[in-house]
Amino acid sequence: MPIPNGDSGWVFEACGLKKQYDDGQVQALRGVDFRIQQGEFVAIVGPSGSGKSTLLQMLGALDHPSAGTLRYRGASLQERADLASYRALEIGFIFQAFHLLPTFTALENVQIPMFETHRSVSERKHRAIELLKAVGLETRLHHFPAKLSGGERQRVAIARSLANGASVLLADEPTGNLDSENANLILDLLVGLRREQNFTLILVTHDLGIARQAARIIEMKDGRIVSDALNKEPT
Amino acid sequence: MTFFTFVTRGLTRRPVRTGLTIVGIAIGIAAVVALVGISRGFESSWQTGMKSRGTDIVVSSMGRGLTPKPFSATVVERIAPLPHVAETCTLLVDLISVEKAEMMIVSARQWGGFSWKNLKITSGRLPNDDAERAVVLGKTAAEVLVKKVGDTLQLETEELNVVGIVDGGAVVEDGSFILSLPLLQGITGNQGKINIIDVRVTPGTGKEALTRLCEQITGLVPEARAVVAGEHIRESQAYRMISAMSWGTSLLAVLVGVLGVMNTMLMTIFERTQEICVLLAIGWSRGRIVRMVLWESALLGFLGGVSGVLIGVVGVKLLVTTPAIRGLLEAELNPQLLVMAVAIAVVVGVFSGIYPAWWSSRLAPSQALHG
Ligand SMILES: Nc1ncnc2c1ncn2[C@@H]1O[C@H](COP(=O)(O)OP(=O)(O)OP(=O)(O)O)[C@@H](O)[C@H]1O
Ligand SMILES: [Mg+2]
Repeated sequence: MPIPNGDSGWVFEACGLKKQYDDGQVQALRGVDFRIQQGEFVAIVGPSGSGKSTLLQMLGALDHPSAGTLRYRGASLQERADLASYRALEIGFIFQAFHLLPTFTALENVQIPMFETHRSVSERKHRAIELLKAVGLETRLHHFPAKLSGGERQRVAIARSLANGASVLLADEPTGNLDSENANLILDLLVGLRREQNFTLILVTHDLGIARQAARIIEMKDGRIVSDALNKEPT
Repeated sequence: MTFFTFVTRGLTRRPVRTGLTIVGIAIGIAAVVALVGISRGFESSWQTGMKSRGTDIVVSSMGRGLTPKPFSATVVERIAPLPHVAETCTLLVDLISVEKAEMMIVSARQWGGFSWKNLKITSGRLPNDDAERAVVLGKTAAEVLVKKVGDTLQLETEELNVVGIVDGGAVVEDGSFILSLPLLQGITGNQGKINIIDVRVTPGTGKEALTRLCEQITGLVPEARAVVAGEHIRESQAYRMISAMSWGTSLLAVLVGVLGVMNTMLMTIFERTQEICVLLAIGWSRGRIVRMVLWESALLGFLGGVSGVLIGVVGVKLLVTTPAIRGLLEAELNPQLLVMAVAIAVVVGVFSGIYPAWWSSRLAPSQALHG
């Protein structure tokens, strides 16, 4: 019996989550269990190939699990018919490679997810300007991605991920393509925004320095969770 | 930014490719406009020509050629006594090269027949009798041949005097070289032969009576067929062939356009695979992706259609003024044809976009993460 939306108090509940590729030749997730509460800041760490990105894809409904169950706010994600609107409205995704659309300006990129809402043209633009202000890019509204620095591009991507007021932010190595100075700026931005908006932040990273800022660290290896612990003193 | 921004941005990112694709469709559409416009113009020009001669029924044997086959002039005696027949006028019409003009309508008419009566003389006069070695030129024919009243004209072996210039009230009439029947019969060695009988019916004859009269005449005259003037030209095998060929050729050109759009759309989609996956990953529905691709290819088709119509119209206007064609026909470029041509282009666009749209809608959002 699925628990009605929101009643369980958990944002995500994963149970025996498995994902295999190439007809079972690749076992990317070998049975993963965890629960995540609203507003948590979770870092997922682990060696390359341990299944971190795969797990994040399952959470973002970019792909289907091969076995096990995954609930979002009490309701099974696999059984959800409108995965597009889940991706558009419930979660925000941030990629290591930014993935902005090159033929659209910063302002336009931030508006792209808003097409899935009922906002008017001017509301979309207005909100995009506010979001870009919030990430400190009010002077770069009409720049194309190619004219922005890596850090600036990731800021645009963060603004885009928050365009529809997502309550969960999934970030796959958001600082992986940035130098340490920019990496810290992006992380500070995410942490600051989370404090203001209280979204759940699930962040995959190689960087233990970054992971230490999270309140909870999940460590993966070979498609399994090998440790899941609260971080006593997030820095 | 609206959804349409996506559609236009998709086309402007590769302006040269988009431009070439538009040219590709435009050529096909221009072919449709030009060929169909001209073959329809051929039909309607002959119809208005007939109307301005005051004809209700045309008796002729439209066979393989562009002009009907000659038959004996005595046939008219079988038609004249029939009920509803008010007047008849026998003609011998041919397409002959006359001096500078490669092909000119030479229209020889029974002396005193009603087909002479609608000619408005703009200068000179009509021939005095059917024996006078005289010719009357439609005003376009006079321009094409560069003749005025008083000049002489060589028709085959005969030298004829231009005695008048007339306004015939229709392109075909204006483009004609008009003379008396016995004169042309003599020149072309068709003594006693005609190839058209224009029939005028008594006023108030209904459509049904007209059709019945046609059947009656056709029964009485095995060597020819009687057809209501408007339908006359469609009976011609030559016209049917021209019409079929023009559609065939233009559809082939359109097909090439389809392949062009499909190729461009597939290229643009392959190029943007990553972006489409990102759009899916950040929440765009597959329906929206499909719509984006279809709108894009529809817009390509539309732009190609509009340019094609422009090219076609300008091309046809130039073509009908060339000496070879001038005065033979008028292209019929009615708004319906032009709208239809643009509509064909849009349909071509949408059709060519179906496969690329379907292909992009099957992409997995997870592919956004890789690469
Ligand atoms: N689409 C796919 N097809 C086949 N195998 C895949 C696919 N995606 C991931 N894998 C495999 O699944 C395993 C887990 O990959 P995943 O991308 O989740 O690792 P990761 O922990 O994110 O690694 P990294 O830190 O290098 O990003 C790897 O062995 C990878 O090769
Ligand atoms: Mg990864």
